[in-house]
Amino acid sequence: MRKLAIVIFLVGAVGYSQNKQVLYDFAGLPQTLLLNPGAEVDNKFHVGFPLISQISVQAGFTGFSVYDIFADDGININTKIRDAVNNYGTTEFMAFNQQLEVLSGGFRLKNNSYLSFGYYQELDFLAKIPRDIVDLFYDGNTDINRRYSINKLAFRAELFGVLHVGLSKRINNKLQAGARFKIYSSVFNASTKLNTGSFYTEEGTNNMYTQHLENVNFLMQTSGVFLDNGEDADGSYVKSKFLFGGDLGLGLDLGFTYHPKKQWIATGSILDIGFVKYSKNVRSYSVKGDYEVEGFQLIFDPNNPEDYWNDLKDKFDNSIVLDTLYKSYITLRPVKLNGSISYSFGQEYDDCRFLINPKVYLNKVGFQLYSSVSAVHSYVAATLFFERRLSKHLQTKITYTADPYSFSNIGAGLSTQLGIFNAYFVADNLLSLHNLYDAKSASFQLGVNFIIKHKN
Amino acid sequence: MKFFMNPNKIIATLIILFSLHSCTKDVDFNQLDDANIHTTYLVTLVHLNLTAIKFLNEFNQEIEFTQDVIQAPIEVNSEPYLEKVEFTVITENTFDRNFTFNVIFYNEFNDPIYFLQPVITVPANSSELITVIEIPKEDIAVIYDTKYFGFSLFLSQSTDGSVLSASDIATLDLKSSVKLFFNYKKL
Repeated sequence: MRKLAIVIFLVGAVGYSQNKQVLYDFAGLPQTLLLNPGAEVDNKFHVGFPLISQISVQAGFTGFSVYDIFADDGININTKIRDAVNNYGTTEFMAFNQQLEVLSGGFRLKNNSYLSFGYYQELDFLAKIPRDIVDLFYDGNTDINRRYSINKLAFRAELFGVLHVGLSKRINNKLQAGARFKIYSSVFNASTKLNTGSFYTEEGTNNMYTQHLENVNFLMQTSGVFLDNGEDADGSYVKSKFLFGGDLGLGLDLGFTYHPKKQWIATGSILDIGFVKYSKNVRSYSVKGDYEVEGFQLIFDPNNPEDYWNDLKDKFDNSIVLDTLYKSYITLRPVKLNGSISYSFGQEYDDCRFLINPKVYLNKVGFQLYSSVSAVHSYVAATLFFERRLSKHLQTKITYTADPYSFSNIGAGLSTQLGIFNAYFVADNLLSLHNLYDAKSASFQLGVNFIIKHKN
Repeated sequence: MKFFMNPNKIIATLIILFSLHSCTKDVDFNQLDDANIHTTYLVTLVHLNLTAIKFLNEFNQEIEFTQDVIQAPIEVNSEPYLEKVEFTVITENTFDRNFTFNVIFYNEFNDPIYFLQPVITVPANSSELITVIEIPKEDIAVIYDTKYFGFSLFLSQSTDGSVLSASDIATLDLKSSVKLFFNYKKL
């Protein structure tokens, strides 16, 4: 069972970031409005197929791949583990993000603005694991004077639902701008960040070694993880938390699409400017202090025997203070930034060389930037893309992305529109498809919508 | 703009190639059975700095034996993984008398269950001496029944009939640490 858990953990831990570089600004899909509320969509009306209008899974681990450890290559697994540890960076991160769009809809208003709304569920996990902790576990602490620090240790796990409504409005012929308002309802949250502290051993004065815990300041905040008596995390509990019975928060997305010149488009968005206030079933743990120990100084006084162990424990407890806090707290949502610039070209002609649609270009090339900024972790990715309208019914996008996981991430997306029926599928890290176990990250999004196009 | 080949065909070919290419190379998760991680933790241990007065009773008569005990903070959860325990003891003695230092493990009924061997002998007027003592793998289990560590010091008699006095400035120093060798296997 333990082995199975480790395998699932490693297999599951291939990728992350919430960067949806293939889906961003792709094919005028309604879901692009979630990535840029100022995106241009030419819909009159859309409704997502409930529960499958967007299924999104992203996962990653920057440290090593499943294949690095479990390749059936005749090399002893302990050698491969040692190599993985040796190649481990100063800090590696592991993440998982899953979104499920439960409801999605939108329609064009009389003033030509597009109103969209919906509800989605999101599970988000991120852990930053410093090398010092890996070395302490793997090699131990026999390296004298080496400081094993938790300064970069961070962790975030949360499950929540998001109700949102947004408006994309044409400001003038060149500019489209939009905003989306969000209400977050959290089921649970656990996070630790901005920790400090180190452990080290140095040569002692009175004994061979002195061991130190220095400047320890660790805080783990949780909400909805430890439930009050009488509460069970059953289906009705989770449902009520998703539907605004949980800890609530507010958020805002802003975005734009700008046409500086004919055939050139610049877009940008900032997502999740917001917070969640956690006040239900809150339990947080704080550890603070400094401590040093040289060992037990034996007194050899039978008339006044020392209680060495309990004295040491008392000194430790007084020096390193563990507090349990029940105070509500606020966390800021990780802010995501998207930006792109693209150039469209190639128009469609009929057999007599007449232009079929002067507004439609068949190809688009461009550059995208994505960044996620939070106290736990920040992330940057750059993408080159080529988008091609294969036919009236089929559109595709191919991306090349450089990010902390890889400099060879090729992604692709397909969107098909048959009447009002729309289906799309996008995935990245396609080069790793020849060996999925060797992928350090992977993501896909797929969904089904019903879209009525706007005739103008 | 003209492509040398129809771009639709290029894209369709790429997508088919990627789709057909999708597979995994051989992996063997049973290798976990052979995995083991050898980790060594270093812990500072007991130290002492004793003068002549510790070997005299209230009548200033020599006592040849003194002892002390420490409750054992043994973590039973580590039992399957602890493979070796290695003590390092550094002694220095400016007394012109020999000492022997014993470490005895006691169970919850105060019965001695293990004697750390060899006994540490500290010769008279000896400068820094390093002694390494190992608890072998076959004896490791005894640690988990240990509730107290007992430390005994024996002062040998002088060969010339001299006795210690409270004004002696000689000292017996002892420093120690322990290395715990773990083997995390069968993850």
